[in-house]
Amino acid sequence: MEREPEVTAPPAAVEPVAFELSPTDPLMHYLQQAGGPVEIDKLKLDSPGLEQMRKADVALVVPLVSQGELIGVLSLGPRLSEQQYSADDRKLLENLASTAAPALRVAQLVREEEANIQARERYQQELRIAHLIQQNFLPREQPDIAGWTLSAFYRSAREVGGDFYDFIELDNGRIGVVIGDVTDKGVPAALMMASTRSVLRSVAARFDSPGTVLEHANELLCPDMPPKMFVTCLYAILEPHSGKLVYANAGHNVPYRRRIDCVDELKARGMPLGLLPGSKYEEKDVMISPGEIVLFSSDGIAEAHSTDGEMFGCPRIIDVVTHHASSADLRNEVLDSLHAFTGAEWDQEDDITMVVLDRLPYDASDFAASGEERLATFEIASETGNERAAMQRVVEVVEGLGIDPTRLDKLKTAVAEATMNAIEHGNHNDPDLPVTIEVTKRPRELRVAITDHGGGAQIPDETAPDIDAKLRGEQTPRGWGLFLIKNMVDDMIVTSDEVHHTVTLVFSLGGES
Amino acid sequence: MPNALTLDVRQPGSSTAVLDVQGDITADSEKPLMEAYAEAGSAKAIVLNFSGLEYMNSGGIGLLVTLLVRANRAKQKLLAFGLTEHYRQIFELTRIDEAIEIFGSEDEALQAASK
Repeated sequence: MEREPEVTAPPAAVEPVAFELSPTDPLMHYLQQAGGPVEIDKLKLDSPGLEQMRKADVALVVPLVSQGELIGVLSLGPRLSEQQYSADDRKLLENLASTAAPALRVAQLVREEEANIQARERYQQELRIAHLIQQNFLPREQPDIAGWTLSAFYRSAREVGGDFYDFIELDNGRIGVVIGDVTDKGVPAALMMASTRSVLRSVAARFDSPGTVLEHANELLCPDMPPKMFVTCLYAILEPHSGKLVYANAGHNVPYRRRIDCVDELKARGMPLGLLPGSKYEEKDVMISPGEIVLFSSDGIAEAHSTDGEMFGCPRIIDVVTHHASSADLRNEVLDSLHAFTGAEWDQEDDITMVVLDRLPYDASDFAASGEERLATFEIASETGNERAAMQRVVEVVEGLGIDPTRLDKLKTAVAEATMNAIEHGNHNDPDLPVTIEVTKRPRELRVAITDHGGGAQIPDETAPDIDAKLRGEQTPRGWGLFLIKNMVDDMIVTSDEVHHTVTLVFSLGGES
Repeated sequence: MPNALTLDVRQPGSSTAVLDVQGDITADSEKPLMEAYAEAGSAKAIVLNFSGLEYMNSGGIGLLVTLLVRANRAKQKLLAFGLTEHYRQIFELTRIDEAIEIFGSEDEALQAASK
């Protein structure tokens, strides 16, 4: 909006005057409708814009209208000749306005488009940076472990989310498995993901307990976490040799384990990282048997929507895991199911991440690789006295392994005691609940895994039996079971999930074999 | 297969009773064990003959501790013989051998009992 001087007598200098016209100013509406030059003096409107124009000594305003839209005005001061604007002047100005308006509109559009292109380029550039950060911090390859297939899948949404996963090599061949999701998207999420990953890597190297690792990571992340941002994260330590998986969860999606006859949810309580200093993380463990598979995933799968607006949801994931064929790749099965649900036109809403731990089933070719051999699996009914049958069965199974009689007696006592505990404490003498006993042999050790249905409950710490205290009547005369087991075998591994509780007796076979 | 516990009670001397264990000692053995103990009466020393022991579990060990508590209260001495190497080790691990003196033969046990 410039003050247009008369063409015939240009003054030495004219100060351009800028007006602020609010879109709600009644003057705007008036000018849009006017259809030609408007004399300011004759207007009676309650309009701040009009006030400004009067103060700036504007005499005539010519609206510039393009396609019915007011895109500007020509505002003219009084004629320098001090005459009124004539009908010819007005005609001329009206013609000028009708020619200038479309040209001005084109110029405006070009400028807007340039701004859009710049914004888009900046956005694209940000996305490229976010992708780059993401790609740089995701593992390039999966650990190669005998008897296992560890695999991962990551596909970012168009607008990169904050998903991440990691495999951390720990001592004694153990593997730390991480899957997480930073709330928020783009560069801020990618940066926080990179920082969380580094924090987890450094803490994981110092602590053996997933709960403690998350606790420390939370303390380190809390002070620097931007407002409204946090990180959900699951951290698990896999002992490939035994199949033991210890895990803790900071508010991330629940992993699923496929067993022979069911799918378990591996639940553990904990707040997302970066929200609350002092958060504690529940720690659980579970034994992954040969042929079992564990799926970790991000919410990009469960919260994907179909064209009807329906959510994919956890039950569909469980369904895929339930019907997973061991020869197939679970990742592809999940993706196929997801794509069938969302349709081909789906614009992926969030990052999709999966980590799969697949313990290979036993078969002849695996014996050589893992050196492990299943000697027997059997069940006994939960009735007092049946531990003798279990003991006898194990003796028959291990016959021929050359275990000397003294050592065999120890194994027998350990098996009997662990089975008794399973019958009484795990299954509460319910004859309908079986105790499952699995005997496996490795090159230098024998393992007897005794599983009952006492999962889910916390196992109380048994006080060490003390004969003096018992004789003084300060302890019950009983309570020798666990003490005996621990003294009979080389190692005892206790694991449990929501349903089952397993005591694995590790019995060294000694010597070369 | 569980072998129910039976105990024969012998009195080789006026103040000594020998309990001959036959079968399994488990949590289910309370009745026969305590009945045999009662039969031994006021003997100053009670000698447990484990030669016929087939199987003993933690429940059985708990019962032996109960027996020990009662014998201690009655100022009776508890001795044992005939344990296999395995159960002897368990007695050592549990430190029950500090309360029940263990011997290699009946003669040695009886000799110690009469002291």
